[in-house]
Amino acid sequence: MSPVRMTQITALVLRAVAAGYRYGFDVMEACGLPSGTAYPALRRLERAGLLKSRWESAAQAHAEGRPRRRTYEMTPAGRSALAEAEQKLAEVRQRLEDLPPAPTGEA
Amino acid sequence: MDLARLWVRIVSVLVPGDRKGEWIEEWDGELASRGGSMRYAWGSLGDAWYLRTEGWTMDGMIRDVRLAVKGLIRRPFFTALAGVTLAIGIGANTAIFSVVDAVLLNALPYPESERLLSMNHTAPGMGVPLVPHSEGTYLFYSEGFHTLESFSVFTDDAVNLVTDGEPHRLRAARVTQPFFDVMATQPMLGRGFAEGEDRPGAEPVAILGYGLWQQSFGRDASVVGATVEMDGVQWRVVGVMPAGFQFPQETDLWTPLEIDDVDPELGSFGLLGVGRLAEGSSVAAAQAEMTNLLHQFAEANPEELPQSVLDQAGLVADVKPLKNLYVQDVVQALWVLMGTVGFVLLIACANVANLFLVRAEARQREQAVRTALGASRADMVRLYLAESLALALGGGLLGLVLASVGVQGLLRLAPVAVPRAAEIGIDGSVLVFTAIASVASGLLFGLFPVLGYGRRDLSGALKEGGRASTVGREKHRTRSALVVAQVGLALVLMIGSGLMARSFAALSAVDPGFESEDRLVFRVSLPSAEYPDVESATLFYRAVEERMAAIPGVTSVALTNAAPLVDTKSAGPMEPEDRPLPEGQLAPLVDRRQVGPGYFATLGIPMIEGRELTLEDSGEGTRTAVISRTLAELHWPGESPLGRRIRSQGSPDSGWEIVGVADDVHFETLIDEPAPLIYLPLVAGSAEEPGAARSLDVVLHVGSDPRGFVPAARAALREVDPRLPMVEPRPVTSLVHDAMASTSFTVVLLGIAAGIALLLGTVGIYGVISYVVSRRTSEIGVRMALGAPARLVLRDVVGQGMTLTGVGVAVGLLGAWGVSRALGSLLYGVSATDPLTYVATAAGLSLVALLASWLPARRAARVDPVEALRTE
Repeated sequence: MSPVRMTQITALVLRAVAAGYRYGFDVMEACGLPSGTAYPALRRLERAGLLKSRWESAAQAHAEGRPRRRTYEMTPAGRSALAEAEQKLAEVRQRLEDLPPAPTGEA
Repeated sequence: MDLARLWVRIVSVLVPGDRKGEWIEEWDGELASRGGSMRYAWGSLGDAWYLRTEGWTMDGMIRDVRLAVKGLIRRPFFTALAGVTLAIGIGANTAIFSVVDAVLLNALPYPESERLLSMNHTAPGMGVPLVPHSEGTYLFYSEGFHTLESFSVFTDDAVNLVTDGEPHRLRAARVTQPFFDVMATQPMLGRGFAEGEDRPGAEPVAILGYGLWQQSFGRDASVVGATVEMDGVQWRVVGVMPAGFQFPQETDLWTPLEIDDVDPELGSFGLLGVGRLAEGSSVAAAQAEMTNLLHQFAEANPEELPQSVLDQAGLVADVKPLKNLYVQDVVQALWVLMGTVGFVLLIACANVANLFLVRAEARQREQAVRTALGASRADMVRLYLAESLALALGGGLLGLVLASVGVQGLLRLAPVAVPRAAEIGIDGSVLVFTAIASVASGLLFGLFPVLGYGRRDLSGALKEGGRASTVGREKHRTRSALVVAQVGLALVLMIGSGLMARSFAALSAVDPGFESEDRLVFRVSLPSAEYPDVESATLFYRAVEERMAAIPGVTSVALTNAAPLVDTKSAGPMEPEDRPLPEGQLAPLVDRRQVGPGYFATLGIPMIEGRELTLEDSGEGTRTAVISRTLAELHWPGESPLGRRIRSQGSPDSGWEIVGVADDVHFETLIDEPAPLIYLPLVAGSAEEPGAARSLDVVLHVGSDPRGFVPAARAALREVDPRLPMVEPRPVTSLVHDAMASTSFTVVLLGIAAGIALLLGTVGIYGVISYVVSRRTSEIGVRMALGAPARLVLRDVVGQGMTLTGVGVAVGLLGAWGVSRALGSLLYGVSATDPLTYVATAAGLSLVALLASWLPARRAARVDPVEALRTE
């Protein structure tokens, strides 16, 4: 389990999974990312232990006449990492809003 | 299977093996959810690449390199052997590339030099490859070119400059006004030539080269505008060229080439043409335009250039990149050498690959342990490649050192004719080349053990304690293939070098037709301002002959306008007076030399009949000549030409009475058949137009050691005229050596390359056979314990080595047959497929291979069965 650097993309992907998107392509579309970007982010998050994946039941897929798919879901570590990231984001937003107006007469 | 799924499977090669199955299934599932659209499939490449590279961290790479270097240092013998082998291979390539880079790829260091064209003619019908311009064609073409931005002609010249009481000879070029525009290089001080300065009656002006300005004028900028006396003429210096500009050839000084635009000379073709291609035009367009202009010129001047002559001579426009004109002599030899050292590098790589294979086997246990501890296959492959690359880069670095030393030696060996020799050295592009060569060879030889690794069953290695009996057939085959390749490549190089050596021997055996031992030659030129007429020139000749003859030890002296094998050509069509050729038929070209009294005796050229030219023949208005045997046989086969007359074609008053026939001499090169030749007196010409030779080679026949006579000869010349420099004094033997220089240069280099190849190939065979013997020790022990005689074992092992050699020799013979024609014109007196060379070389190589496999075989035959079985 290695740490992952939380970037815009990893945070976005993590948020999408937390919001209930379970399949890779659904996450990708929800985030509006190309698959060549979304998948490595999923891999990194899984490697870091923030997500875990499993195969859905073959029986169900078979019943629906399609191949089985891999599903992604949050781990407790993922939930706290997402909370932390959202907390940081909120702080940044707050500081942006609190920025005092530029002194007039200059620039 | 649809396209999207196919793509996923192609891309999956990147995915590490343990995840591949699931990976494909996952992508299949997702793609199925989107109707298998290709639009969604592209991204699988990014995903696969991520999975392939996720372990590649900076830390990991540094660790790999550290491990690799540690591994190399732990085995100093292996590392040194492989490193030196590579250093030789890469160093040889670097050395030759540095020459190729300077000489071929960067021959003309002028702005946009790819637009510079040689604009001349060729006359295959007369056997004359290069026909330059006359004043007439220059003026005519200058008006007509639209495909060229500028067009100029030039000719080589020499002037004498006296500085500090010491006369020097300078290399000059006479050029027409647009010359510096063509070269796109302007003087750094002053100006170029102005309009009209190349017309008769203009003030003599000159432009100095940087080197001359530095040496003789102390870099004094005020020299521009001043006058300088050279050859008795006051020249006004109008400019100084920047450093590095030496066109056409190590030129010190440029003066205007006077072109008479009122009454241009039409028929004397001695001016080399250069042009700068206009933007957007092409060589083919320039060729077409010049072809057109030549025909228009011939139509406008039917007297001087009749259509029939044009047809017989096959005179056509010849437009080509200017570079070709200057490097064609060395171009073939250099590419052959480049190919040769490429072979040497391949052999070196094969050798190192073999070393690596042997070592990889020895490391099986190490690998097994590492794998058991969790290293993935990819980790091991990376480690191996890191080792190969570290070794290759180390070898490359050492090779660079070898090359920079080697290039200096190479240049000392090189024939004088290597253009831009001073520019050769290790520079940026050479460094890039070396780096690429190193990495490429690292990957090449690193590949073999990696491929082998992929197939090996590691758990087996661990279980059996690394015992050798499971070493696959596969590995032997790889190693055998490498040895075969080495033997084959080495044989190709040895055959090439053998062919060159035979050419050299054939060339050495050529009789130049004159004696070169104990003869000294030097050059001196008479400026027309100081020797304005035939009388003064004749007085000079007589004085030189007398003073030189008076030097103690000098047997005889002779003057000529060009000694044999000195590059000067002056030829024209000549016909016998008693049987003139029909109108419109071109007579054979006859080469002309001017010689003084005693010339044939001094150079030891036998007279076949008649007599030499004497003092009496040198008078103004006398028209007596000696002709060569070839010319005599051409016009008077089976008869004596003595007393008959020969004349320039079409000029009835120009006849010469033949007083002697001299044996043939190789005047141009040692290789060419002697051309028809006429020897005229030093003062040659009719009473109306007396002409005296102004450029002279003085030949002294001395007792011994010609070089020892240089000071006395220089002093004697100074007594005659202190203003004239003695130029290039050297033994006549050196003229002959220079004529063989490019062959001997190639012989030496190919010989070195072939020697290295043989050495590496032998080491390869020896190594493999030794290895096989060591692996088979127990088997041999068993056989001998069962009563097999040592003789049989010996034969068996040697047979194995010789089988490999045999296959390699067969491959090599085929290869040599295929590539030896690349030597083409470098060969002389031997065919590219000379059977003797092929057979002898193959036999020699086989003999060495026999020895290389016999040594380990003898060790095998001496195996003590008891010992061998005990080690089991």
